[in-house]
Amino acid sequence: MKKNIPVYPFAAIVGQERMKLGLILNIINPTLSGVLIRGEKGTAKSTAVRALADILPEIEVIKGDPFQLSPDEDDDTIRELSEALGRKTGPLEVESRKVKVVELPVGATEDRVVGSLDLERALKSGEKRVEPGLLAAAHRGILYVDEVNLLDDHVVDVLLDSAAMGVNTIEREGVSFAHPAQFTLVGTMNPEEGELRPQLLDRFGLCVNIEGILNLDDRVSVMERRAKFEDDPAQFNLSFQKESQELTSRINRAREILPKVTFTRELLVRIAKFCLEVGVDGHRGDIIILKAAKTLAAWNGREEIESQDVEKAAELALPHRVRRQPLMEIADNLDKIRKMRTQGAG
Amino acid sequence: MAKPLYPFVAISGQDDLKEALLITAVNPASGGVLIRGEKGTAKSTAARGLIEILPQIKVRPGCPYTCDPDYPLEECDYCKSHEDVAPVLRNRPFLTLPLNATEDRVTGGLDFEVALSTGERRNAPGLLAAAHRGILYIDEVNLLDDHLVDVILDAASSGWNILEREGISMGHPARFILVGTMNPEEGDLRPQFLDRFGLSVTVEGVKDHEARVDLMLRREEFDSDPGAFREKYAPQTEALRYKLKEAKRILPSVRISSRVKNFIAALCAENHVAGHRADLFLAEAAKAVAALGGFFDVDEELVLRISPLVLAHRRRDVAPPPPPPPPQPQEEEPQDPEDPKDEEKKDEDQKDNEPQEENPPPPPPPDSDNTPEPDESPAPEPPENNRQDEGYAQEEIFAIGDTFQVRKMETAKDRLRRRGSGRRSRSRASQKQGRYVKSGPNLGQGDIALDATLRAAAPYQISRERRDLAITLEMSDIRERIREKKMGNHLFFMVDASGSMGARGRMTASKGAIMSLLLDAYQKRDQVALISFRRQGATVNLPLTTSVDMAGKLLAEMPVGGRTPLSAGLSTTHREVRNALIKNPLARPIVILITDGRGNVSLEGESKGLAPFEEALKLARAMSTDDRVKYAVVDTEEPGVMNFGLAVRLAEALGAEYFRTEDLKAQTLVDIVRQQM
Repeated sequence: MKKNIPVYPFAAIVGQERMKLGLILNIINPTLSGVLIRGEKGTAKSTAVRALADILPEIEVIKGDPFQLSPDEDDDTIRELSEALGRKTGPLEVESRKVKVVELPVGATEDRVVGSLDLERALKSGEKRVEPGLLAAAHRGILYVDEVNLLDDHVVDVLLDSAAMGVNTIEREGVSFAHPAQFTLVGTMNPEEGELRPQLLDRFGLCVNIEGILNLDDRVSVMERRAKFEDDPAQFNLSFQKESQELTSRINRAREILPKVTFTRELLVRIAKFCLEVGVDGHRGDIIILKAAKTLAAWNGREEIESQDVEKAAELALPHRVRRQPLMEIADNLDKIRKMRTQGAG
Repeated sequence: MAKPLYPFVAISGQDDLKEALLITAVNPASGGVLIRGEKGTAKSTAARGLIEILPQIKVRPGCPYTCDPDYPLEECDYCKSHEDVAPVLRNRPFLTLPLNATEDRVTGGLDFEVALSTGERRNAPGLLAAAHRGILYIDEVNLLDDHLVDVILDAASSGWNILEREGISMGHPARFILVGTMNPEEGDLRPQFLDRFGLSVTVEGVKDHEARVDLMLRREEFDSDPGAFREKYAPQTEALRYKLKEAKRILPSVRISSRVKNFIAALCAENHVAGHRADLFLAEAAKAVAALGGFFDVDEELVLRISPLVLAHRRRDVAPPPPPPPPQPQEEEPQDPEDPKDEEKKDEDQKDNEPQEENPPPPPPPDSDNTPEPDESPAPEPPENNRQDEGYAQEEIFAIGDTFQVRKMETAKDRLRRRGSGRRSRSRASQKQGRYVKSGPNLGQGDIALDATLRAAAPYQISRERRDLAITLEMSDIRERIREKKMGNHLFFMVDASGSMGARGRMTASKGAIMSLLLDAYQKRDQVALISFRRQGATVNLPLTTSVDMAGKLLAEMPVGGRTPLSAGLSTTHREVRNALIKNPLARPIVILITDGRGNVSLEGESKGLAPFEEALKLARAMSTDDRVKYAVVDTEEPGVMNFGLAVRLAEALGAEYFRTEDLKAQTLVDIVRQQM
């Protein structure tokens, strides 16, 4: 049903390079733990995330499994989870499919997100059955939260919990149950409507601030492309097929290079210095910069991190981590802060 | 299923944290550990890593309460009836308490699978049972519902979980190591909860470049091949495990001489800690450290060294810290001076204790001198004939003054169910959240109260036809849970931005007060609106929103100048409040009016109608009739000879609580209570 709605191709999005980069890096390296896209209305935020489906790599899953388990998962887990669903474990059927983008609507209730007890069955037949929620569906995929800043507080808490542990635990209504939930969290938000809580902010590996395009030509081409797409989506997608394929194969190549990327100690010292100068809480910033820099190098087909990778990675990984009071704004100019802090200190 | 563990011994830095965890691991009697601090500082990694180095435990397979087979007295029914099952060794349990856990899952509750199929009432063990002899880890313990914190801390300190709910009455042992983390920015734990944690550590990122690099390298190494990384640290892990086991063995023989005991008592007294928990925990912690070092004696030096762990979160802020600090503070220095927050707090405290006049930043520039001070017109209705427009014409933007902890403000509890989240006022909850307080008739919410449903069905069982189940239910038996939880309120800030507020740094202080209220609103997850009035009318600077940040920003930019259209402000606020109530009839808005009360512009124009202030009073009286709205007036007028007391009269008309700026501070709560009595 949903599949038939045509998706605007990722390759056809004009401008917004940082956002696109942030998303691509996360596809190449899922351990980057997501990206937060902050920006005005109508800046192709949601379009970009939905378009990801197009360029995502394929993974192997157990066929029809609501928990998206990999066939490599250990047998105990597989058995335990099928029992919770009241299924018999038979021989496993494996299918290969694209990584999924699961959307978490802002109004989602907690039991839909974490999963809950199938109460009807419980009362009729006296059995405890688990009804998997969105977190189960998002395992090994991308969990996309539009307007993440408007999310109900308790849903945020749940997200934090499972994002941190990679496991979703249901402890309610007499159900005690856990299943793996490792997902890449992608959130979009319009800062005018309120900021995120610091912990949730920190869970996003990268953060990009985007704004409308100011270049006239680009604006025109945005309009033109959109119009063409609406006229005949299939034709439009076809015309970008080549670009899409190129993008996909470049991503796949980067995924292969990634484990081989090396770095020097000097670069790490620079990362550490940078984080200290800017004033970042904890160490997650350092770790994410390193990961992002590695991924960037792989994306550019290199097997060694260069200093430009670090610079770029810092731009993506630090804006939302700079230490600030709860009511302060998120910085979008790292250099300024850095200068301010270093001068202040010296 | 879970990710591989990062080895405890491979955590770089964070020595305090590691020591505190080891102390409670050796001697759980030293209370749990509360970890306060920044994000991303290995808090949970360390707590999780502890499991690996704790000695394994003997458990009978299948036992739902993790009973200790060596204590037959405490065994559960299962163990008693399965004596033939041989105990096995296994890792201690590590349980993370999800923030959304319901009380029945924490303490245990009716096992309804059994209840439905056999009709037997049996307890389904909860998390406290599962955590017995292991570690219970609570991330963000300050965000947990109060009643849950209560239950857990009770169990932690008594080592026993007592259940009296859903028709079950039982108790079982629940001795576990409690580890909680919190980020103070998100609001503090209540002092009585703080006190229950034996030890607390404040963690922060490592400041040294090289150390940070090492940390990154280790993490990278771990992420790329967890197995090999764990292998590499296996010998160290093993060594630590042995050390811990030894420490546990000699712990019972560690003695504290009465001289050292006296020293501990004196130390606690000097630090103004409340109650005696500190003394006990400090003694136990000291024993653990001695045992870890292989000593059988505790000396003063050791007590001094670890005392910050026990005392840091208990120290009462006594107004003036004793001028010549007794010897121990020097010992504590290593922990404190690094922490700028503490210093700031001290600064603030000191400032707060000083008279207000010294506090506010430089008063408005000399220009404002030509605005005559009120003392020139001591008439009973001064605002009217007070001054010319021009004097107020120029605008100024004042900085935000000092912020402080705000006293509690909440709406009364009622019987309406609400949807939402937040942390301010108690309310019946319409989602499946909050504390299950009682059951009621089925309203179709899907939140079924099983115990009550079964009870309702019980009398009819004989007459009803049996299907395959022990119990036959009909729709009329279904009972729902009525739950209670805390929710955020709608706060309307109505700010007087007229010229008179600019005088004598009043606006700076007021902005500080509003900012404090906003910070509080952020922690309680309220929705806020900002309305200001000056010159000829009132503006809605910010309609009702959850974006407290935005309100803060607008507040900082808010200009001051012009006359005081108090009536316009009131009517605009009334309109906003009414709209909010139409949108959400269950809302209970709180209007906070910050003004000196000197209204001098009326709605109708001065020639006709009432005098401006009288008009405002009339409006206020009309507004007070809606008892869904709660009002509070914050008077910004400094106490002194030239006090018109206008804000008091306004507060009376509104039926509002009346505060002075200083009264908002949590510390002066006692005074307010006294006044109200």
